[in-house]
Amino acid sequence: MIQTQNLVKRYGREFAVNQLNLTVRQGTVFGIVGENGAGKTTTLSMLATLTVPTSGQAFIAGYEVTHQPHEVRRAIGYMPDSFGVYDELTVMEYLRFYADCYGVDRGTAERRAKELLEWVDLGAKQHSYVNALSRGMQQRLEIARCLMHDPEVLILDEPSSGLDPRSRLEMRAVLQRLRSLGKTILISSHILHELGSIADEIGIMRGGELSAIASVNVMLAHSDAFRTLWISGTGPREAWERAFADDPHVLNVVEKRPAVEVLYAGTVEQQAQLMKSLMDRGVVLYQFAERPTDIEELFLRLTDQGEEAD
Amino acid sequence: MRANPLLYKEFRQRMRARRTPLVVAGYFVSMAALTFFLLYENVQGQLVLVLPARSEQVFLLMSLLQMTVVAFLTPAFAAGAISGERERRTLVVLLTTPLSPFGILVGKVLSSSALLALLLVVSLPLYSLVFLFGGAVPQEVLAVFGFQLLNIVLIAALSVLWSTIALRSGWSTVLSYATVGFMVIFSGVVGYGLRLLAQSPMEFFALRWSNDLLALNPLWMEASLAGVVSVTRHAWVLFLGFYAALVAVLAVPAVFRLRPQLWRLLPGDERNYQ
Repeated sequence: MIQTQNLVKRYGREFAVNQLNLTVRQGTVFGIVGENGAGKTTTLSMLATLTVPTSGQAFIAGYEVTHQPHEVRRAIGYMPDSFGVYDELTVMEYLRFYADCYGVDRGTAERRAKELLEWVDLGAKQHSYVNALSRGMQQRLEIARCLMHDPEVLILDEPSSGLDPRSRLEMRAVLQRLRSLGKTILISSHILHELGSIADEIGIMRGGELSAIASVNVMLAHSDAFRTLWISGTGPREAWERAFADDPHVLNVVEKRPAVEVLYAGTVEQQAQLMKSLMDRGVVLYQFAERPTDIEELFLRLTDQGEEAD
Repeated sequence: MRANPLLYKEFRQRMRARRTPLVVAGYFVSMAALTFFLLYENVQGQLVLVLPARSEQVFLLMSLLQMTVVAFLTPAFAAGAISGERERRTLVVLLTTPLSPFGILVGKVLSSSALLALLLVVSLPLYSLVFLFGGAVPQEVLAVFGFQLLNIVLIAALSVLWSTIALRSGWSTVLSYATVGFMVIFSGVVGYGLRLLAQSPMEFFALRWSNDLLALNPLWMEASLAGVVSVTRHAWVLFLGFYAALVAVLAVPAVFRLRPQLWRLLPGDERNYQ
């Protein structure tokens, strides 16, 4: 449904996107994760026909984005990372305007707008002015706006950015509901954890390149290889440092008083060895607990590996 | 309206804006005060009220003033049409809809012109007063109104095109007012200055330049419709041809701006546009 072949976007000598090869199958949700400046927005902008690729090709629903932009625009619903709303329009008028832009007939537009507003929990706001809505409500309204012409593909650029924690949770609920519509969705975020519960596959972008692609299930399975240990106790500082330095499975240690948090890439048996090593060096342990590594830490681990390779 | 949803949306937005009734009411009150003052001055100390020659002067003065006011008001409503959308971050979504660049530009030009056209309409009763005093014949009034409407659409089109080409509303406003300044002030002052110079036998060459510059001045051309000055057919061809060509020339980079697939042919960095 979405396919890019050696897609490149260059500004002067700087590569914003470099040789991007991406395939998103029909009806699946693909998440792109990366830090700011990784090339996510440029990629999505090219797919939304807003920016022209320097070289390479991109297809959406079988249409090529540079040569068939009109067809691509009809096939997609695009939500930019930063957007404005029209003042002096009510929520209903706002949705009707975009329905008119796509040539949706008045009756269908009216019915669909009401359904979508209920769907994004804005049913009670249909007669409110758009600029009177909170940021979180406006973001949900944008999701409804993207769906007004019933597109096959949704391209959502950081839909939860700039939201407070409550609005972020509400948006996540809406995004999870989006899955049930069976649309092909390409969604970007700089928070991997946010996409973990939404996406089928996740790609990590760094420096304009897609450095890793994996299904969320596979990533979570890999995450079992990394453990986060929560250790508290008392003893000489050198003893702690020595024990951690001598264990090759200790990847990272962060002091979080009154304990330390250890990212550990070993088995349960090796974990027991670390506990024994600490005690042998005179450390009195109060707590030695393991908590599951979340997808965010796995992402950090992957990007760290990339940087080390550089 | 359904053919151009942007036009319908813009009408709705503009007419709901708080400044709209203020502008319309302020304009009508000012024009009414001026008309009554001029008519009062006209008949003061006279034994008869109907003085066609003097009323004709009132008609001319009102028409020229109205033209000047709408010429300088139009950029205020049109110069931020596209650049304002860009600054409010609404353009990026608009460009991903199937609306054509031509449809976007036409919608913006007509919606910007609508309020100015409304100003012309509300001033009609005042013209009827002048008409009552024998200052103008209906054909003259219609011709002057038609010409004013044409100029509103023309200036709105130029302002919307500058607004599309320039990245910021500040720049598009400067460029729009520079264009209006050329149309109304520069062509008039320099054209008329050359005409005075042409009265000297040594400077006869100036007459041609004077005629050409004055032909580009909407006030001069409007005065010809009111029968105060005479212009040749060549002057009308020059006026319409020059400004049609200017709109066509500016439309090319404007469409390039709205159609990103053509951007790669233009110099510059499109990353900053949307």
